[in-house]
Amino acid sequence: MINFEEELKKFHPSLEVEDAEDAIYNQDMTDMADLVVKVVKEYRGFEEEAEE
Amino acid sequence: MICYNCGCTLSEHDFCTNCGVDVSVYKKVLKISNNFYNEGLERAGVRDLTGAIQSLRQCLKFNKNNVEARNLLGLVYFETGEVVAALSEWVISKNLRPKKNIADDYINVVQSNPTRLDTINKTIKKYNQALLYCHQDSKDLAIIQLKKVLSLNPKYVRAHQLLALLYIDAEDWQRAERELLRCEQIDTGNTTTKRYLKEVNAMLHPEEAEEARAPKKKKKEARGEVLRYQSGNETIIQPIDMKEPKGVSFSAILYLLIGLAIGVAATVFLILPARIQAVRDSVSEQLKTVSEQLAAESATTNDLQQKLDTLKRENNDLYTEMEAYVGTDGTIQTMDNMLTAVNGYLQNPEDVEQVAAYLESIQNEVTLAETSESFQAVYQSLLTAVGPRVAQTYYDDGMTAYRQEVYADAVRNLEKAYIYNPENADVVYNLANAYYRNEEYEKAAVYYQIVVDNYAGTEKARRSASYLEEINSMQ
Repeated sequence: MINFEEELKKFHPSLEVEDAEDAIYNQDMTDMADLVVKVVKEYRGFEEEAEE
Repeated sequence: MICYNCGCTLSEHDFCTNCGVDVSVYKKVLKISNNFYNEGLERAGVRDLTGAIQSLRQCLKFNKNNVEARNLLGLVYFETGEVVAALSEWVISKNLRPKKNIADDYINVVQSNPTRLDTINKTIKKYNQALLYCHQDSKDLAIIQLKKVLSLNPKYVRAHQLLALLYIDAEDWQRAERELLRCEQIDTGNTTTKRYLKEVNAMLHPEEAEEARAPKKKKKEARGEVLRYQSGNETIIQPIDMKEPKGVSFSAILYLLIGLAIGVAATVFLILPARIQAVRDSVSEQLKTVSEQLAAESATTNDLQQKLDTLKRENNDLYTEMEAYVGTDGTIQTMDNMLTAVNGYLQNPEDVEQVAAYLESIQNEVTLAETSESFQAVYQSLLTAVGPRVAQTYYDDGMTAYRQEVYADAVRNLEKAYIYNPENADVVYNLANAYYRNEEYEKAAVYYQIVVDNYAGTEKARRSASYLEEINSMQ
């Protein structure tokens, strides 16, 4: 049986056009590729330090 | 694929041929991103928009620079009615690749028309207002707002779902189902829609819900039972064993022909005789009326014909009688003669011959018995006045002719003498003798008989009797 209140909580207000700009700016653009590159770079840094 | 370190194009090796960095993991990440993109594209193709959004977001989590995935994601958002989310993705896509990017066209479609942009904004504001009404427990107002939203943006899936939720809460299952079916048409893979639909179907078709829960046990019971399903606003209840006819079958045509034959037979045997009889009765009635009229007319005609004949006869009689009175000059000649005779006698009583002439003409023209009493009286008076003298004159002339043996003249004069004086035995006797001499024996016998009858015992009577015997012996 569907509970109206519980289901209603799942509905969020929609972004208006004026709020679109903020939404874009606040979006987290970090992706997996960035994480991989970051890890690789950190790993290379450790290697260089070890050689020294 | 581009090297993340130097920006050079990567080859099939696991290291960059330009800067030598290890790109094996990086390549795998990009491949995973591309796989998710393909999956998202496939789901979008079958209208599983919710699944497509999930796949494409996963794709972008692995590779945010995947412009095609971002553009597709924006398109999917736009199709579900999430315009601002779509615009966001297209703007980001444009920033990642400013040139030769289809996101430009998508953005122009939305922003080039100010009215459309304004409508989109209104839609979003009304939706948010409806959500607020729901939280404030003003569900009727929320429904009204959501209907307005959907009239502006019929593809707004979340608005459909919220409206369906409100209908479910109000237990208006029909309307809820309608909204959810529209959702399903837009986005087939939406789990919220499916969950709500399951709830609604359970309420609308409880038998099917029980069958779905325990299908094995109830399969046998389904035989002979009915199948219920919704078609728009109507609930269709159909026997399971029934097969819908495809097209026009032979049996349908046969039934049609049989029905037609029955209709024709009913008309011929039931309706037509009554109508024919009614027409016949009407004709008979008319015929009877006409016959009666004809009979009446015939009777009238006959009556009139008889009257006509009678009138014609009377007319002829009157005409004839009138002719007798009128004569050739148009006056009543007989009366005129009588008056002349009277006048002549009054003027000269001695001129009996003139008076006698008029009296004779009167006698020739009319039958005295048919004249009036006064006319007869005048006539008799004149006759009495002039009769004996006229009779004597004619008697003398007659006897002179008798002696001269001119018996024809004798007869004529003696007849006139008899007219004026029928009581004179000599006149009667000599008239008989004149007829006898003139060989008119029948007339002679008549006058001889008069003599015998009126003057019995006289010599004349005796002679008359002997003449009579002689005449009788001759016949």
